[in-house]
Amino acid sequence: MATTAVAAPKVKVKEKQSKRFKLWIGFLLLLFFAGGYFIVERLVQGLPVTNLSSITPWGAWIAFYIFFVGLSAGSFLLSTLIYVFGMMEYERIGRMALFTAIVCMIVALTFVLMDLGRPERMLNAIIYWNVTSPLAWEVHFYLVYIALLTTELYIAMREDLVRLAGTPSLKGKIAKWLTFKNSPINESTKKRDHKWMKILGTIGIPLAILGVHGGTGTIFAVVQARPSWNTGLFPVIFVVSAMVSGTALLLAMYIIKKKATRQKIDHGMVVSLAKMMVAFLFIDLGLQFYEYLVGVYGLEHHHLEGLGTMMGSAYSWSFWGVQMFLGAAIPTFLVFYKKTSKNVNALLTAAILIVIGIIGVSFNIVVPAQIVPLFEGFPAGDYFPTFNEWMVSIGIAAMGLLIYTFGEQLLPIEEIQSPEKSEG
Amino acid sequence: MLSNMLGSKNMTEKDWNNLLDTALPDVEKEMEASPFDTKLSFNMADDARKVINGKLNIKDFHKKYHSKLMREFGEEVGQDFASGADDDSTATDGVKWGMVIDLRKCVGCDTCTVSCKAENRTPPGISYNVVLEQEIGDFPNVAKVNLPRPCMQCEKPSCVQVCPTRATFKLDNGIVTIDNDRCIGCRYCIVACPYGARSFDFGESYEDEMLGYNDVTSPEYGIERGERKPGKTPIGTVRKCNFCLHRLERGEEPACVETCVGDARFFGDLNDPNSTVSKLSKSPRAFRLKSDLGNGPNVIYLK
Repeated sequence: MATTAVAAPKVKVKEKQSKRFKLWIGFLLLLFFAGGYFIVERLVQGLPVTNLSSITPWGAWIAFYIFFVGLSAGSFLLSTLIYVFGMMEYERIGRMALFTAIVCMIVALTFVLMDLGRPERMLNAIIYWNVTSPLAWEVHFYLVYIALLTTELYIAMREDLVRLAGTPSLKGKIAKWLTFKNSPINESTKKRDHKWMKILGTIGIPLAILGVHGGTGTIFAVVQARPSWNTGLFPVIFVVSAMVSGTALLLAMYIIKKKATRQKIDHGMVVSLAKMMVAFLFIDLGLQFYEYLVGVYGLEHHHLEGLGTMMGSAYSWSFWGVQMFLGAAIPTFLVFYKKTSKNVNALLTAAILIVIGIIGVSFNIVVPAQIVPLFEGFPAGDYFPTFNEWMVSIGIAAMGLLIYTFGEQLLPIEEIQSPEKSEG
Repeated sequence: MLSNMLGSKNMTEKDWNNLLDTALPDVEKEMEASPFDTKLSFNMADDARKVINGKLNIKDFHKKYHSKLMREFGEEVGQDFASGADDDSTATDGVKWGMVIDLRKCVGCDTCTVSCKAENRTPPGISYNVVLEQEIGDFPNVAKVNLPRPCMQCEKPSCVQVCPTRATFKLDNGIVTIDNDRCIGCRYCIVACPYGARSFDFGESYEDEMLGYNDVTSPEYGIERGERKPGKTPIGTVRKCNFCLHRLERGEEPACVETCVGDARFFGDLNDPNSTVSKLSKSPRAFRLKSDLGNGPNVIYLK
């Protein structure tokens, strides 16, 4: 049988990989527990462990929160290219994209939880829903979105779960538990699954764009008190930035995983994804250009100061260094320069740099706008994350990677075999 | 005689009332002396008491007596009463607290800030009221201007708009309050407030410098919270000026108004056209901070 023939050599590969895998898990656990100490410190002592103040009330955790929501929305939208628009050349990363989207949402919400002054009251945002608050809407959208992602991932995995259900491993047991008793695979179920993937993906597109990430941008855009957020273009930039970071993340994850498990890399797909990533980046830069141009042209004092803080103050290293140089200039060069444009390592570097660049974008959104004093004579903000804030962030990110790694071990996130083979 | 009766201790409530009645003129007799209907006056008084106790709707009251009053008092008085019955904008009937700050009278002494801190026992880093100081002009034509800044108690507050839990809301009297027991501490309101009037309670304390600081939390919004200690509300939530609501409820002015050495602050009902604040707010010197934003501050400055 084809299944056993394929599975046998894979077991050997697994053994070779197990040491590497243990090292990876050990590394993540170390980071998680190191971060965990600081998470406990934060929960016990409250927010004084941060550098936040009443003048700069939002900091690193909010920046990471919008960053991870962006990664999630970006990954999901990439998955819709496959499941809704039928770009089957990217199918290899379809489930990975969906699972990444779920994990990123979990990470994002954990960041918000860390940031709340009263984390134990988090459900109040659902119980006492204020319909004029974008933040309250977001909480609801996030939950619906996570439910939709989970359903979609389940349907995408269903066939492989059914195939796995018979195997005696832990993975098989979980698959059996997840697929219930009667789960046939035939033409009609294939058709049904395909149809539902398309329906859910189609509902998901406006949900992710308008609800989840455009909505996250709206949280900032509606704040009239901070002119550098208060533009109509702001939520759009959020969505496009999400596409940039989501594509970059998936590209990087795909290459790293294939390299770590010494599997063959789909070279054509990598190059094409890299091109798409840079295309999104260009749209993003274009929108940002207009955003800044219109802001400067208005000569409004407060707005000018906000842009000035971002581009020409002690905080500008983050804008010019991280966002523009690392996150835009170098990746563009790597993707277009002849000698590097086909090189997998170079493209991996470009993807990682873009992800780092978008972290910079998130910080440049959140922090500089709160540095500018609200009034002449009001103290200016002064913010840089504390050691605790960094460690908590690392801990939460490690938690996300752990969830992803274990999830991939226990669920058929990667396709067991290519569809052609199973049919043959 | 009277002392004997008091001494006997046999006086019941009825006896005391009788004693009082002998001293008072007879109500019915007095009313008969007036040219108006006695029965109507007693009925109206009874029903008015019902309205005050909430047992009768004011509109029903108006309906009930409209025709009788028209007959009794004629067009002039009766018409006023009738127009009141049709007036649906009952919201304007209540109090809307407002403050006027005369910047020419402000000397920049920061007494308001200090008295506010003392009254509300705000922790380090939180001042509901601050005085912004600025030097304007070029030497030698320089001046120092002071801008006291309490919460503006906006007509359309951005903070109330963005709060995800409805923990911050506007009272009927115009004051923007926070339900500290509901607030999740997301600080969106702090970010959204154009006046920087909100602060987050990080849980800091003056206990080291000031003995017994932690013993009492100020009874803001009339809630006695007792001792201030880690993890206890309002720590971890957002705090703001509330025009000293707990003082208003016992008929006192906000602390900053009461202590202002230059008498630069005026406090009162903006809905009452005859109040000092209403009159001052119509002065040509009157202006509001960031009036272009549309929040409609209820703190008015005189330049």
